[in-house]
Amino acid sequence: MHASRRSFLYGLGATLGSVALTDLLASENAVATGPLSPKQPMLPAKAKNVIMLFMEGGPGQMDTFDPKPELTRLHKSESKLTAGQETGFKFFVGSPFGFKHAGDNGIEMCDQWEHLADPYVANELCNYRGCQAESLNHPEALFHMNTGSRLGGDPALGAWATYGLGTENQNLPGYVVMTELALPQGGPTNWSNGFLPPYYQGTRLRPEGSPILDLAPQGFKSREHQRRALDELARLNQAHLESLSVADQKLSARMESYELAFRMQTEVPGVIDLSSENQDTLDMYGLDQSETETFGRQCLMARRLVESGVRFVQIFSGGWDSHDYLERGHSARIKSVDKPIAALIRDLKQRGMLEDTLVVWTGEFGRTPDNNKRGGVYSLGRGHNNMAMTMLMAGGGVKPGVVGATDELGSTATECVHPIRDFHVTLLKLLGLDDNKLTYFHGGRYKQLSQFGGELIPELIA
Amino acid sequence: MISLSNRQMTVPSIRAIAGAGLLTVIAAISPTQAADDVAVPPPVADAAPAHEQVERDFTLKILPLLKDKCQGCHGADQEDVKGEFSVMGLADLLRGGESEEPAVVPGKPDEGTLLSAIAWEGMEMPPKENDRLTQQQVDLFRQWIKQGAPWPDEQTQQRYRDEERMQVETADGLIVTTSGGTSQQWTDRRYQPEDLWAWGKLKSKSECLPVDVADQSEAIDYFVSRALDAAGLQGSPAASPVALLRRATFDLTGLPPTPAEIDSFTTAWQQDPEAAWSATIDRLLSSPRYGEHWGRHWLDISRYADTGGMSNDYERSNMWRYRDYVIRSFNNDKPYNEFIVEQIAGDELADESVRARSGGDEAVVKQTQLDGDYTPQEAESLVATGFLRLGPWDNAMIEADEARQIYLDDLVNITGQTFLSTTMRCCKCHDHKFDPIPTRDYYRMYSAFATTHMAERKVPFLADESRDRFDQGRELVKKMLDFAVAEKNKLVEKRETAARKWFEEHNLPYKNEQQRKDLPDEEKPERHVGLSYVEQGQLKVREQDEWIWQRRLERYQPMAQSVYNAEFGGMAWNGARKLRINPQKKKDQTLVNHILIGGALTAFGDQVVPGVLSAVSLPVSSGADDPYLLTDAVQGRRLGLARWIADPQNAIAIRSIVNRVWQYHFGVGIAANANNFGAKGAKPSHPDLLDYLSSDFVENGWTIKRLHRVIMMSDAYRRSTTPVAVEKLAEVDPDNRLLSHFPRRRLTAEELRDSVLALTGELQPSQGGVPIRPEINMEVALQPRMIQFSLAPSYQPSPQIEQRNQRTIYAYHVRGMADPFTELFNQPNPNESCELRESASVTPQVFTLLNSDMMTDRSIAMALRLQKESEELPRQIDRAFRLTFGRAATESELENLGRYVSEMVDYHQTVDPKPVVYPVSITRSLVEEFSGNVFEYEEILPVFEHYQQDKKAADVSPQTRALADMCLLLWNTNEFMYVD
Repeated sequence: MHASRRSFLYGLGATLGSVALTDLLASENAVATGPLSPKQPMLPAKAKNVIMLFMEGGPGQMDTFDPKPELTRLHKSESKLTAGQETGFKFFVGSPFGFKHAGDNGIEMCDQWEHLADPYVANELCNYRGCQAESLNHPEALFHMNTGSRLGGDPALGAWATYGLGTENQNLPGYVVMTELALPQGGPTNWSNGFLPPYYQGTRLRPEGSPILDLAPQGFKSREHQRRALDELARLNQAHLESLSVADQKLSARMESYELAFRMQTEVPGVIDLSSENQDTLDMYGLDQSETETFGRQCLMARRLVESGVRFVQIFSGGWDSHDYLERGHSARIKSVDKPIAALIRDLKQRGMLEDTLVVWTGEFGRTPDNNKRGGVYSLGRGHNNMAMTMLMAGGGVKPGVVGATDELGSTATECVHPIRDFHVTLLKLLGLDDNKLTYFHGGRYKQLSQFGGELIPELIA
Repeated sequence: MISLSNRQMTVPSIRAIAGAGLLTVIAAISPTQAADDVAVPPPVADAAPAHEQVERDFTLKILPLLKDKCQGCHGADQEDVKGEFSVMGLADLLRGGESEEPAVVPGKPDEGTLLSAIAWEGMEMPPKENDRLTQQQVDLFRQWIKQGAPWPDEQTQQRYRDEERMQVETADGLIVTTSGGTSQQWTDRRYQPEDLWAWGKLKSKSECLPVDVADQSEAIDYFVSRALDAAGLQGSPAASPVALLRRATFDLTGLPPTPAEIDSFTTAWQQDPEAAWSATIDRLLSSPRYGEHWGRHWLDISRYADTGGMSNDYERSNMWRYRDYVIRSFNNDKPYNEFIVEQIAGDELADESVRARSGGDEAVVKQTQLDGDYTPQEAESLVATGFLRLGPWDNAMIEADEARQIYLDDLVNITGQTFLSTTMRCCKCHDHKFDPIPTRDYYRMYSAFATTHMAERKVPFLADESRDRFDQGRELVKKMLDFAVAEKNKLVEKRETAARKWFEEHNLPYKNEQQRKDLPDEEKPERHVGLSYVEQGQLKVREQDEWIWQRRLERYQPMAQSVYNAEFGGMAWNGARKLRINPQKKKDQTLVNHILIGGALTAFGDQVVPGVLSAVSLPVSSGADDPYLLTDAVQGRRLGLARWIADPQNAIAIRSIVNRVWQYHFGVGIAANANNFGAKGAKPSHPDLLDYLSSDFVENGWTIKRLHRVIMMSDAYRRSTTPVAVEKLAEVDPDNRLLSHFPRRRLTAEELRDSVLALTGELQPSQGGVPIRPEINMEVALQPRMIQFSLAPSYQPSPQIEQRNQRTIYAYHVRGMADPFTELFNQPNPNESCELRESASVTPQVFTLLNSDMMTDRSIAMALRLQKESEELPRQIDRAFRLTFGRAATESELENLGRYVSEMVDYHQTVDPKPVVYPVSITRSLVEEFSGNVFEYEEILPVFEHYQQDKKAADVSPQTRALADMCLLLWNTNEFMYVD
């Protein structure tokens, strides 16, 4: 089919000499100079790619990586703290989990983390405890962490990264997002291109059904059928283009997008098809167990996407909003991501990809050391906390170890304290991008991810 | 170092020809403030000794730069001086920073570190693109250092500043009189005249136009030709009649012309082209389809959606009444000044009217607000205030005063962008960096809205408002509600049975959930007694569903999304789900507004009272001490503001709408940023033309339909899309700002969907009313979507084909879940005002156009139509071309596509498409907050129990499918997707 198509195009080309057709053929192998073509970083880069694991709902710092023995002592005693938004009678909640050291860099984690605690993995981890969010509400805090603005509508991190660096594989989207079945609060605004051109929008690979909407032809139309249709369409468009006495770039670009689409139809199912992975790899990511299957599959796909030249991959995993039944909630959530995350880091490390792939694990905010009664009962859970949270990073030029600290109750960050924008500036810096220079003129001014500029967090960088 | 920004893209390419005549055009619009504000004759600066001049330049030009751009990091905060380098005094500059090199060596500009840093050679200071100094500013520093870097003392500086202030206009620009900034430096700063183009008074038509012309359309051509001549460019000849008809039909109605319309137009054209063209414009303007298309433009600006967005994305049940109001207003050609006042203050107009008919009885006014006993005219005004309810808003988990601030900020911003083409957002925190808007004016306007509270109000339906689908719609909502309540009751029952048992076992009297809430833990069962984790999760889902469907029942109530005035209003923590008139005033409470420094609710600056933008120089009331203040009574603030905006002297507001109308005809406005006429927005390409049309617009009754006519009767509008002298054009005017040819444009999302429906003959006329729900991608329709505490219900399309196939403007717009089809083709996100849509071709559009159910279904409908109209393949193909492109198929097209269709018949004979089955219920799964485990529940989809399906592949023959393949190809072509 392919050969005949070529001869078909050449047959047309003989009578054309038009720019459009040359473009059409050139784009098949050469990297076009399109909006997504790879660009040199502005600064020396440590990371080329990012895999961001977003724990929607806000994991509790004191129940994951930031132990607070004092809280255990104060368990169920009255709290007069003002963090968070809950009012009325409040009481402290000790973490239901024990803690342990993992690896050689001072990383601490609760006993629910089993695979991540393996020194081979834990030695790569950087635990940052100094970040502070602003909003106490999920969607605004999600928007803030993902787009730099609480309002929603600005470009997402991945959009800025692909705007700044382009992407390596023109047959795949540069910025890929994976979610659970349910979209996170705020939905696609979390991976929006905002005011950047639409090429930089995150493409969601759907967990079920068609990975990209309408990617495949209708069930009763074969791939050959589609190829034949595209050839006939190219003929119609070419004739139209020739009927114009003056070439129009818009029209030829649009013709090109059909050929790109056709290639993407093969490339996308290829990259998400895990049948070429061996059983050990599948088991390592936890695809053989129901609690880790979904997130494990997405982590493995993230590695494959980055391997195939995708710049920025983001995975959302929900259910961390434990206002009540903290022990069961966080335990189940940790179990669902522990093995896959450990496998991802191990896999990247073994393949030599970790040094230029930055892995980030974060929620939209942290949780309070205390809780209030629910329905008149002591409910063992935590509220939203914008003053303290915890993040993990690995690879991509970050320095392993613990950075920053929270107070003895975990209610507020106390050392190496930075707002989210500084974290963003640092993330861009690792990618070789300068937040102050990575700008886009919109609404009367040059806009940037940090909104009005931010500071680097040098402690995080190796 | 490389900097990545779209700087190049935004530098207007028109600069290239500025010297060739355009500059003269720009210069000619020097704002009238100049004349108004001049108080003192020009200065005698050149008499001053040379060293004084250097000191003066330092004081007036360099010192402010040091303050604005450097001191933030270098000296203002003595505790934290970056790089140990301060710019607070000369000694600091001579000393330098941690590098221990002097920053400035007087007399020697090539030594010292300062100049190279601010020139971004080596160091890059200030580090932000936004703050970067211009070459001109860097040169000022160079000059100052060269001349010995004098730094006069504070007293001398003050003298220079006082002297300077007396001169309104100097070579450095103009001082604009405003209500005053938060610093004297801001108040005294100078603006380049060209940056103020939008603020000045409108030039009269005769001032703009030095020649005699027959009519306004000829005037347009005079201005356009003048600029083209100056640039040495030639305008393209007129487009073909068929291209013109297609252009006009899409522009005014968003639909393609029918073959019959094309035929009658070409016939008429042969008789008398001018008459044919003129009659066509009249025909299109009087079509009800016109309002449906132009109304959509307004909804882009005002941000229409049927839900409130954010955490809960609550239904705004009666928002459709505002949408129909907008459509109606365009169709009726409501004068634009009335359109302004109704949207900003329609509720106050209604109050005025009730007051008048009740003999000024305030009690009746108040009672009517509660009863909703309004006349149709009053009801219309109230519905219009839906404009004030279009921003995304929810107060869940947000402090009450912050939630209120978010709302009021939104009103200030949207009013500025929509009606004044002005970005106000910057002035929430500080005096505007580029435009003459002090933060004081922001908070005066904020104060003008400070008594405005959101409410769903009782407003009787109008005769024009369709209630056709109420019964059917209510039935579905009721069904969903009943199911949720029944499921909830089952779980509550189960819980209470267990609770009863617990109380029995503890020998305590039974207390229901509410009664036992405050009992100590030992005296009551645990909270979810009797329920498993799965059931706990299910209960929460059902409770949310009850709320959601309860609220959707309000769609059928005579209510409007509106506002009311009160000094203070009350609201529950989850107020967004039920907003009713609820004035709440405690004793001794008085509403006072302040400038909020940095936008922080607790950082009070000066007290402010309601007012308007002082830079417009248009008094609200003459004679008052401060002519820019509005009433500070609880009532009447917005009406005052609205009437000020709609004043025939409010030049910026008039330019704003005229520019928008122009933009939707030509793809780009005379000023290219329709929401930002400020210094950072694009400058107008034809400023005299904009003023001419604006003056003409006001003189002739603010009618938009008339403006369309004037524009469309011009030669400029009728040019071909083919440019002449391509190379010269590429060099001089690559973006076609001078309109040498007509810009080709891609169909919008709505035009695409509506056109395809029109071509297949499926498009149904609509009377508006409750939103219709077209079929959207079923994967998205049924995809779970998180809201606070639960999942939002699935999207169920309208059961009847007749409803689904109405125009896209009538579709249900959910903020949290865009229709992927319209979103992909750049229907804007309703959270931001959209001044102009994107139209880039991105790959996912291909997937949708080739593979989606929606396009496939339409192609089958088209094939069935063609087969019904003719039995012969060549005639079917030709008919498809006439419908789709408005032209006959050529011989070779007939041959190629004939062959293609027969090949496809062969193909389709080998395949057997499966029938499509719609689910009547689905199983949802959700991660349960309590346990972190996944739980499932059933959701019913009753719409699909009696669902009128479109014809699917399995329902038609291989011949039909083959013909459908060809139709789909035609809709994928550039010829169809673009309007010439």
